[in-house]
Amino acid sequence: MKEEIYQTFCPGCGVGCGLYIREDPEGNTSVDFMKSSPANLGKLCRFGMKVPYHYSKARTMVTGSKADIEDAIKAAAHRMADADSVTMLSVGNTTSEEHMAFCRIAETLGTRVDTGVFPLPSQITSKCGSYPEGISLDEMEKAKRIALFLDPYVQYPLIVRRLLAAKRNGAGIVAVGTKELHLADETLDIGPDRYDELGLDDKSLIVADIHPNSDPVHVKQLLDLAGRCGAKIHFMQPFINSTGVNLALKANGSMMALAQIMEDIEAGNIRTLVTLDSDPVELMPDAAAAVETLKKLDNLIVISSRASPVTELADVVIATEPVYMKAGTFMNVEGRLQENSGSGVAGIDAMSLLNGELGGKRFDYQQLHYIFMKSIGDPGTDVGDVTADKAEQMECGSVDVDNAGSSVPEGMYQLKYLYNPFMWFDQKDDNDFVLIDRKLVKKLGLKKGGMVVLGSENGKMKMRYRVENIPGGMIMTAKKIPVATGPNTIISLEGC
Amino acid sequence: MVEIGDKVLGYATDPGIRNRGASGGMVTAILAAALERGLVDSVIVLRHINEYEAVPVITDDVDEVLASAGSMHTVPVNLAKYAAGRKVAMPGKPCDVRAVFEQAKRNEIDIDNTFIIGLNCGGTMHPVLTREMLVRMYEIDPEDVVGEKIDKGKLFFRTKDGEEKAIPIDDLEDAGYGRRESCRYCDVKIPVNADLACGNWGVIGELAGNATFCEVMNGKGVRLLENAIESGYVQIEPAGEQSIAIREKVNSAMLSLGEKWSARVFTEIPEEQRINYYMEQFADCIDCGACKEACPVCTCDEDSKCTMYHSLADDYKMSMYHMVRLLHLSDSCIGCGQCSDVCPVDIPVTSIFRRFADPAQKKHNYKAGMTLERPPFLEVMLK
Amino acid sequence: MADNREWEPKIVAFCCNWCSYGGADTAGMGRFQQPSSLRVIRVMCSGRIDPLHVFNAFLEGADAVLVTGCHIGDCHYVNGNYKTQVRHQFLEEMVKEMGLEPERLHLNWISASEGEKFANFVRDVTEQIKKIGPSPLKPEGVN
Ligand SMILES: Cc1cc2nc3c(=O)[nH]c(=O)nc-3n(C[C@H](O)[C@H](O)[C@H](O)COP(=O)(O)OP(=O)(O)OC[C@H]3O[C@@H](n4cnc5c(N)ncnc54)[C@H](O)[C@@H]3O)c2cc1C
Ligand code: SF4
Ligand code: SF4
Ligand code: SF4
Ligand code: SF4
Ligand code: FES
Repeated sequence: MKEEIYQTFCPGCGVGCGLYIREDPEGNTSVDFMKSSPANLGKLCRFGMKVPYHYSKARTMVTGSKADIEDAIKAAAHRMADADSVTMLSVGNTTSEEHMAFCRIAETLGTRVDTGVFPLPSQITSKCGSYPEGISLDEMEKAKRIALFLDPYVQYPLIVRRLLAAKRNGAGIVAVGTKELHLADETLDIGPDRYDELGLDDKSLIVADIHPNSDPVHVKQLLDLAGRCGAKIHFMQPFINSTGVNLALKANGSMMALAQIMEDIEAGNIRTLVTLDSDPVELMPDAAAAVETLKKLDNLIVISSRASPVTELADVVIATEPVYMKAGTFMNVEGRLQENSGSGVAGIDAMSLLNGELGGKRFDYQQLHYIFMKSIGDPGTDVGDVTADKAEQMECGSVDVDNAGSSVPEGMYQLKYLYNPFMWFDQKDDNDFVLIDRKLVKKLGLKKGGMVVLGSENGKMKMRYRVENIPGGMIMTAKKIPVATGPNTIISLEGC
Repeated sequence: MVEIGDKVLGYATDPGIRNRGASGGMVTAILAAALERGLVDSVIVLRHINEYEAVPVITDDVDEVLASAGSMHTVPVNLAKYAAGRKVAMPGKPCDVRAVFEQAKRNEIDIDNTFIIGLNCGGTMHPVLTREMLVRMYEIDPEDVVGEKIDKGKLFFRTKDGEEKAIPIDDLEDAGYGRRESCRYCDVKIPVNADLACGNWGVIGELAGNATFCEVMNGKGVRLLENAIESGYVQIEPAGEQSIAIREKVNSAMLSLGEKWSARVFTEIPEEQRINYYMEQFADCIDCGACKEACPVCTCDEDSKCTMYHSLADDYKMSMYHMVRLLHLSDSCIGCGQCSDVCPVDIPVTSIFRRFADPAQKKHNYKAGMTLERPPFLEVMLK
Repeated sequence: MADNREWEPKIVAFCCNWCSYGGADTAGMGRFQQPSSLRVIRVMCSGRIDPLHVFNAFLEGADAVLVTGCHIGDCHYVNGNYKTQVRHQFLEEMVKEMGLEPERLHLNWISASEGEKFANFVRDVTEQIKKIGPSPLKPEGVN
């Protein structure tokens, strides 16, 4: 009758909401509220409320059949040692300590860990921005004017209350290019050339997000805007430990856009990929295309706490315990270091063994924890120089200036993904509709309860729709759908 | 030796429990005795995480029960749902007890197998706001706090170095701190619907602070208390007249304060503005479903009328989810505040639900969660 | 409102198969003029009408909802309409608390032969609704 109760954090997004996972003797899990958690006061969004779905356990496998962990590690080591070069991906879906373990392996192999986000321009400094440390969400409540470049209700629901509080404190809120938002005073459908009309100054705050499919050009434009007007900028991030892995970057990794990695696999430049709780099939806008790309690899080695499409494709799966059981820390989007109550180190032990097999040193949780704290400049670790201008020192590659926002041909529409936790993790949800505006309903002669047919080079599909006030010619969806080929897809649209 | 209606002062015989308990450790001792002597299979208590946080556990481990002694004023949980389907003993604030009754009415809880030691309740506070209040209003480091109490309308905090600081609760609440809003207007302070009603009101003289006033409400209460005495866990003495009078006096003072708050919170919304008010409030809802999940009187599972007839694809002016729930909860809402606590977009869900439930319950002269005799009035009883 | 004369309210009537639906039918066949505003939804018994159907009608754009059934004692399923009556009390209270005008929700017992009663009832309600205008719950873009 013994029930286990874990203090942990929601793995859905960078807010890192505190919660309890209750695990009954049969292993069924349920969520309970942790009201003392400062990031969220115990409150959770739809994803957090349904988080048990997320913890579907991965199984250790070698070439498609069940294996025990040591054999899988040996098989992985073998493949990694034999490869000419190894690409390693960890976007920040697991503990800082596991990420550090992954970095150790990279070191042994003489390679680095990629985070899947494009290299950020060096101008992101603590002066104009919050990236990568994050500002406290309390700060958001104090801004005088806020420009929103995301849809908080769908994408990062836990900032809705912060924005509402800001509004009660007298802030004006303007939403740019999203659907009409109830909390915004105005919604403007304007391009970067007109951002100066937003009326921002040094008491203002820009809220946007950075994720593996962000458009680097747009991020640059926002940074320029912030630089020009002196506004602060806050980038929300999609993964529980995005901030942690970014901070760990300096010592151990680089930022290579996921799309770049996928292109390199496609081109045969990358032949061996090792992932740590990062599933390119879930992360790429076009899941089917991602599957095809991954099939081209010689070696796909997946270290994962949960079953997901990539564990189906992998040559070797090294399964670790669910995230809520792990010992370890996460850094949320505010730069708040949060610690799990769990004591699971199966993931770390597996990676230690793997590192040993590769000829590197073995390690344990305590060492990794220390190294992580040191790399983020924790005063307790006695290393003073890291915090100062972390952002400046970040390794900066060239920004890919291929603007995605090309014009939409006559009679076609732009389908825009509203990335949200359900989408990043391809989790069951009932967001199975597209948002269209009323004019379009009239134009297509749609009837109540009807459907629309979306078409792209990937084929056609039927979807339900919901009517919203959104920028003209735009179709939005919070559901991952097969017709999409990227974060923005040119599509055709008919009624049916 | 114990009879229904007895009013006693009692405490744990074990000095350790007595010390750690909120006021004499009697409740902890009764729970431990009930478990040890097989009156129940398990006990629901709070596992302390830190000074401001605790999590409910269902346990058959006496040590876990003993470790749970003490009142957690910053743990606004509701324990009713944990009792479903079990033979348990549990402590319970009035809102816990009332929710147990609503669950029992809907056959989720077997009241005969659920032993409830009621705790008087002046209110709970939100843990994060309390920390903030300590910094801003008390100028105390929250980590230094070792104890708190409410006395004569003031909230006291004691720090490591033995100092005590008090601020009138009214001042705290005017500044947006203090008790949760629902606690301010909560209208049951002594849980007379529990099996035993325990609290520190009326404990005077040298027993003050280390004994509890306990009223035996029914036969289950008799069994609980006798069991604890027989096993040597607690010691009792009859409560004197003065004790009884003081308890009554404080209770009525608290209730009238509650009425004042009620008037303050539930200002009349003119009829012609109501629909806009409600639509406006719910417009920020992100459909997380937490208000239903957290509601301790709701007995539906995931697939229920409010969820099955609600779709995210609808662009209705109000959601079916809320409309259905506003009706369904009108006969069972106890105003416990859980729904507001968990709402991620800070909709005042509790006060909205009270605006519907209160007039309906008053009209039917029905107070949710008080007895099993009145079935839910939304269920049509055929004569 | 000048264009209110043009505006036809939408009225949704839930009718039970055995009585009030017959009433509506009689009204239609007879010489009683039925407003074009009426949408009849046939159910087997008024007891089948869940409050959520009423909410849904409002949310879909009804300006008024009529719940009708057999006279008390005549229900073909013994006591369905008794349940309807009890539910209606709560629904009425809720509608009031929400701030929807009471004119928008009605309960009436109508037998199959009472075509005239049905027609008058609908006409009365239509008149009342024309005075108070469209329902605030009506979705945008719905007349
Ligand atoms: C939030 C709160 C407010 C109270 N306010 C008053 C008051 O205004 N006047 C008054 O006379 N008495 C009040 N009490 C009751 C009083 O503090 C003592 O709990 C009671 O006198 C019993 O003392 P004890 O030493 O026997 O309890 P203990 O032996 O310390 O046992 C306390 C029991 O309460 C449980 N508990 C602790 N916190 C909570 C919580 N937040 N919710 C549910 N269960 C909890 C514990 O798990 C434990 O089982 C309150 C209690 C609580 C929890
Ligand atoms: S997905 Fe993000 S906002 Fe939602 S509960 Fe999880 S951490 Fe919080
Ligand atoms: S709602 Fe009432 S019983 Fe519950 S915690 Fe608040 S004051 Fe106590
Ligand atoms: S509706 Fe809210 S206040 Fe009412 S019982 Fe449920 S959770 Fe408590
Ligand atoms: S808790 Fe709040 S946001 Fe969630 S469903 Fe309820 S009202 Fe909506
Ligand atoms: S059959 Fe007409 S009301 Fe029941």
